[in-house]
Amino acid sequence: MWSLSSITDIVQTWLGSTFNPTIALLLQFVMAGLLVITLFAVLGLVLVFMERKVSAYMQVRIGPNRVGPRGYLQTAADTLKLLMKEGLVPAGADKFLFNLAPYVVMISAMLLMAPIAFAKDFQMWDLNIGVLYVSSVSSIAVIGILMAGWSSNNKYSLLGAMRSGAQIVSYELSAGLSIISIVILVGSLKISDIIASQQDGWWIFKGHIPAIIAFVIFLIAVTAETNRAPFDLAEAESELTAGFHTEYSGMRFALFFLAEYANIFIVCAIGATLFLGGWMPFHIGNLQAFNHIMDYIPSSIWFFGKTFFLIFVIMWFRWTFPRLRIDQLLNLEWKYLLPISMFNVLLVTIMAIMKWHF
Amino acid sequence: MGAASMIVLIISAIVFAAGGIITSKILVMGIKNPVKSQPYECGVETIGNTWVQFNVGYYLFALIFLIFDVEIVFLYPWAVVVKSIGWTALLEIMIFLFILFLGFLYAHKKGALKWV
Amino acid sequence: MEAKEIIFYLLAALTLGSGLLAVTARKIFRAAIFLLFSLIGIAGFYFWLQYEFIAAVQIVVYVGGIVVLIIFSIFLTQQAGTDLPNPPLRRIIFSALAALFGLIFSWMLISQHPFKPGAESPVAVSVANIGSMMLNVNDTGYALPFELVSILLLAAMVGCIVIAIKSRTETAN
Repeated sequence: MWSLSSITDIVQTWLGSTFNPTIALLLQFVMAGLLVITLFAVLGLVLVFMERKVSAYMQVRIGPNRVGPRGYLQTAADTLKLLMKEGLVPAGADKFLFNLAPYVVMISAMLLMAPIAFAKDFQMWDLNIGVLYVSSVSSIAVIGILMAGWSSNNKYSLLGAMRSGAQIVSYELSAGLSIISIVILVGSLKISDIIASQQDGWWIFKGHIPAIIAFVIFLIAVTAETNRAPFDLAEAESELTAGFHTEYSGMRFALFFLAEYANIFIVCAIGATLFLGGWMPFHIGNLQAFNHIMDYIPSSIWFFGKTFFLIFVIMWFRWTFPRLRIDQLLNLEWKYLLPISMFNVLLVTIMAIMKWHF
Repeated sequence: MGAASMIVLIISAIVFAAGGIITSKILVMGIKNPVKSQPYECGVETIGNTWVQFNVGYYLFALIFLIFDVEIVFLYPWAVVVKSIGWTALLEIMIFLFILFLGFLYAHKKGALKWV
Repeated sequence: MEAKEIIFYLLAALTLGSGLLAVTARKIFRAAIFLLFSLIGIAGFYFWLQYEFIAAVQIVVYVGGIVVLIIFSIFLTQQAGTDLPNPPLRRIIFSALAALFGLIFSWMLISQHPFKPGAESPVAVSVANIGSMMLNVNDTGYALPFELVSILLLAAMVGCIVIAIKSRTETAN
C-alpha cells in the first residue's frame, strides 16, 4: 500500500544510502521545510477559495466563476494581485515593529505544524507534550497582533488589536479546558497516544455527553480564537475597517491573511485529532469486518476529511450567527463557557475514574 | 525529526515571509506620494494622538486571565495522571478548583467581569 | 563546534541581546517586545535542555500571559506613544556599576563552584512524573504546596480586583 509514511521512508533510505549522514540530514530538513511552505501556500489558496464558495452557496450566489475553470484559479489570481501591490508603511508608524509583526504571526503559525499528525506515522515531531505545545505556541500569535495594531499609528488598528487580544486570551482558557478533558480520558499529552486511544471509536462517541459538551465548547472557543465570525468584532470590516491589519497592504497583508487561514486549519486539525480520531478510520468497537473496510481508505484522507469538515462548520457559523458585541463576547466566555467547562472537566474525571466510557 | 523540526519550521517561516515581501518589493514600482502614507481613517484627517489611554477593563481581564492561565497549567500534569491515581486526585483537584471558584465568585460579585 | 553548541550560543545571544535592548529601548512598547524575545529565548533554552513541559509553561505563562498583561498596562498609560526621557547621567553610571558588580559577583560564584555530575540517576522529567509527584500525599509528595498554590492564586485574584476596581472608579470620576 502506498501511504505518506512509506514515501517518506523510501526517500529517507535513498538519502541515507547516497549521501553522507550530515548532508542527508540537511537535505531532509530542506525537504521538510519546502513541504511545509508548499502546504501553507496550498492551504491559503484552497481555504480562501473554499470560504468564498461556501459563503456564495449559503447566500444563493455562484461565487467566483470567471478565472480558470469554474473559478478555481481565482485565489491564485488574487495572490498575484497582492504580490504586485505596494507594501505601504504609514507615516509615524513604528517601522521596526510594523515590519516584524507579520514574521511573528507567520512563525507562530508555522511552528504549530510540528506536532500535527497528517497521516499514519506522518508527523514532524511527536513530542511528549503535544497538545500543550499547541496551546502554548498559539499564544504567541496574539503578541504579533498586538504588535501590528500598536505599530500602525492608526486608531482603528489599535482598537482592533486590543479587542482581539482580550478576546483571544479569554477564549484560550475554555479551549485549554476542553483539551484537558480529552487528556484526562487518554492519560497522555502525546498526539500519537491520543490518536491510538481512539482505535475502537472516536472520543466524541466514546465519551458520552461530557465529550460532546467539550467538543462544542472547543469549537466555539477556537472560532473566537481565530477571530472568525460571529466573534470577528476585532476585525469587523464595517466597524473597524479590518482591525489590526488596516494599514497593512500588499504582501504583508497577504501574510496576515494566510496565517489566519493556516490557524483555522491548525485548530480544526487539533479538534479532529482530539475528538474525531485524527487519521484513525471510523471504527465501531469490535466489528472486525466493518473496521477492515474502513481501513482501506487511506489515513491522510480521513485526516483531511475530518479537518475540512470542521473548517466547513466554522465557515457555516459565519453565515448563521450575527456578530457579537464586546460585552456579550466577554460575558459568554467568563459567565458561561468557563464555569461550564470547569464543571465539565470534573464530570469527565468522574467518568474516567469510574470507567463509564467505552 | 525531533526537536530540529522547530528550527526547520522557524527558518522556513522566515524564508516564506521574507521571500514574499522581497519579491513584491522587486516587482512593484511604487510612486511616492505624501498622501499615500497617511494613516487610513476613511478619508478624514486624523485628529490627535493615536496612542490614547485605554479602558482599565482590558487590564482587568488580562489580570484575571493570567490567574486562570496558571491554573490551567497546573491542570495539565494533573490530567495526565488522574486516571491512574483515581479518587485522591479528584478530591485534590476539587479542593483546588473550589478555592479558585471562590475567587471567581468574588470577581463576579465585585463586577470585575462586567464590561463598562 | 557542534550544531548543539551553535544553537546554545544563538539562544544566549537572543536572550541577552534582547534583554539589553529591553532595558535601553526608548519606547516603552518596544521594551515590552524585547522582553518578550528574551523570555522566548529562555523558553528556547528549556527546549534545548529537553524540558519540554517547562518550556511550554514558560511560553504559556510568561509570553502568553505576563507580556500580554504588560502590553495592556502600557495601553493604560497616557503617554504610551512618546519616547521615555533620557535618564540622568548619574543614574546610568550607577546602574551600570551595579550591573557590573552583579556580573562579577555571580561570575566568581560560578567559577568557584565545582560542577560535578551527581551519583544518583536523574529523574525523568515527563509530565506524568510531575503530575504524580504533585498529587502525591506521602512525605515525598507535593500535594500540600499544590493546594497552597490555589490559595496564592486566590489571593492574587482578590488583590488585583481590589486594585483595578479602585482605579476604575477613579477613572469614572
